[in-house]
Amino acid sequence: MIRLALVGCGRNAPALVAAAAESDHCELTVAVDIDARAAGSVARAANSMRHVGNLESLLASGGADVDAVIVNTPNDSHADIAAIAIAAGKHVLVEKPLALSADEAGEVRQAAERADVRLMVAHTLRFMHANIQVSRALAAGELGKPGMLRSHRWLRRFPGPPGGWKHDSARSGGLCLHEGVHEIDQALWLIDERPTHVHALAGPELLQIHLGYASGAMAICGIATGLPLGSGYYSLALIGSLGAAYADDHHNVHLVFRGGRPQAALTDLRASAVRAQLDEFAQAITEGRDPSVSGADAVAALQIAEAAAASVASGQTAHLTENGYVLA
Amino acid sequence: MSLPERYRVLALSAAKHDYVPLAFKDHPRFQVVGVSDEPSAAGWVHECNERLAADLGVPYEPGVDAAIARHQPHVAVVSSEAARHAQLSVRAANAGLHVVQDKPMAPAVADCDAIVEAVERAGVRFLLWNRNTQPAIEEARRIVHAGEIGEPRAIHVDFFFCKDAGVLLNSDEPEEIPDSWLSEGELTVEGIYPLAYMRHILGLDALRAFGRASAHFFRRHAERGVEDIATVSLEMERGVIGSLCSGRIGRPSHPNIGELRIHVVGSTGALVIAEPRPEVAVHTRGLAPDDDRNRRTDQETDRRQVDHFVAALDTGGDTLLTARHGRHIVATVAAALESARTGRSCEVSRPS
Repeated sequence: MIRLALVGCGRNAPALVAAAAESDHCELTVAVDIDARAAGSVARAANSMRHVGNLESLLASGGADVDAVIVNTPNDSHADIAAIAIAAGKHVLVEKPLALSADEAGEVRQAAERADVRLMVAHTLRFMHANIQVSRALAAGELGKPGMLRSHRWLRRFPGPPGGWKHDSARSGGLCLHEGVHEIDQALWLIDERPTHVHALAGPELLQIHLGYASGAMAICGIATGLPLGSGYYSLALIGSLGAAYADDHHNVHLVFRGGRPQAALTDLRASAVRAQLDEFAQAITEGRDPSVSGADAVAALQIAEAAAASVASGQTAHLTENGYVLA
Repeated sequence: MSLPERYRVLALSAAKHDYVPLAFKDHPRFQVVGVSDEPSAAGWVHECNERLAADLGVPYEPGVDAAIARHQPHVAVVSSEAARHAQLSVRAANAGLHVVQDKPMAPAVADCDAIVEAVERAGVRFLLWNRNTQPAIEEARRIVHAGEIGEPRAIHVDFFFCKDAGVLLNSDEPEEIPDSWLSEGELTVEGIYPLAYMRHILGLDALRAFGRASAHFFRRHAERGVEDIATVSLEMERGVIGSLCSGRIGRPSHPNIGELRIHVVGSTGALVIAEPRPEVAVHTRGLAPDDDRNRRTDQETDRRQVDHFVAALDTGGDTLLTARHGRHIVATVAAALESARTGRSCEVSRPS
């Protein structure tokens, strides 16, 4: 059983606590947050877990009850906290993005390699059950060569006051790094080819990333972050040379009648996706192998996310090169 | 001037589809008076025209000018090969006929410009045949225009057409479709429908396009250097973001005609519409592999389009898809394909 310290007890923490409680491979042992009330609340939710104010003090005292660290803090602190944990010889699962730049992410990755610890990044779309089915169909050759990936992901409006870190692009990295990196990783995972072209458009609470590939494949991903409070929406279609797969909330919606217009309801499987992600991290540690979403994957996704951000800012297309991109 | 009780319709070629002229067959405000075409049309085109004339119960009379002189029609319905669309439509407009034309409007933007110029100079109505009167599209338009999702911010259309086009790429099998097959590329031919949806639902045009296109499935497309799939990012009026995924993706890729959907994101809500719905699923032992399992319940889509056209004729108002709208759609496709060739986003050209 891998023992985990959860650093950052904010909004995602309850989902991680619930996932760890369900896991056969890991358990949460310490909650870490400078907000003692938040850390205490998470610790109480996880029964026997203790809580501390910061990671440094935990590690200075030996951290004997911790094998690995989950970094669940604002984006601008991911790289630093991961580096501290790695320096102490702890395995690390970092929320996406791994860092606020591909270069910085590369440094974290190299540090993990030098320390011989496992580094995994929470590109959770890979663990959604529907996407796993798509990936399996692709791996089995049922879909042939991937030709087109189309996805939509709609999120509720960022919660919290306008001054929160997610509203501050200097801290979040902006929409391309904060959310778009999910779709980019998804495309890298499913199409398994580095794109040659990145063209991105952004509007109020909107991002669209369009990828072109030398093989002729293409991907276009839409993200909306301003949905009214309620459920989100997710849709993915992968068109291959021999067939297609559709993973789509619209197909799976249920109807609830309570007067007025019928309301849509979805069976929410996101919690088990978080658990599958935690299990993969813990099993990679146990088995001494790289996790399925590696530091290299995170760096690759961030390189393209940076190109997408440059495309948005310039209105031009980013042509990817071996080491970066050129706008034209 | 009093309105005609019934507008006389002359079908000019049925080389491509007969459903356009047939939509006028039983409408109480129209009378199809004949079918005509150029005498120089290909033999197989004459055969198509003769079949249409028989279906309509009217004569087939090669010789367009003579047929117009004889029947004095109000409306020409053009469904020839795409390469002859502009020639026939301009000729009809110059003769003072209103025009209903099959898609694509024309292979080149310059041909569309010629149509726009002719119909506007003649003061006749022009309708580019479309699918905007489907119930789901009308519902999406109603929801958006009622402000139920706030100000539109993005529109995404998936238009996957699940049929084959001969043998697959890299297949050793002999080609199934003849050399005379007319495909000009799937975005080029079918792009009118999803782009017309965008225009109908939002009332906005595209300004710039970034496109990717490839022959991913079928050998015939690859041989001809045309696309069977395409993705397009659009910068639209009022800062709206658009996207389009389109293509002929093979029969096994979907149980029905294809994944045809519209996503609209607004400032206060969002919308997901399945274009073919409402539909009924029918599964029987007798169905062939190519038969659609799902059948649309609405039988009045074409009728509503023709009704709208009548209203445009009676009032002098716009049709559902005017020559200028159609021209802009062809220009949008051209910009997307140019972008696919160059790797850069391209401006959608405006009429000079």
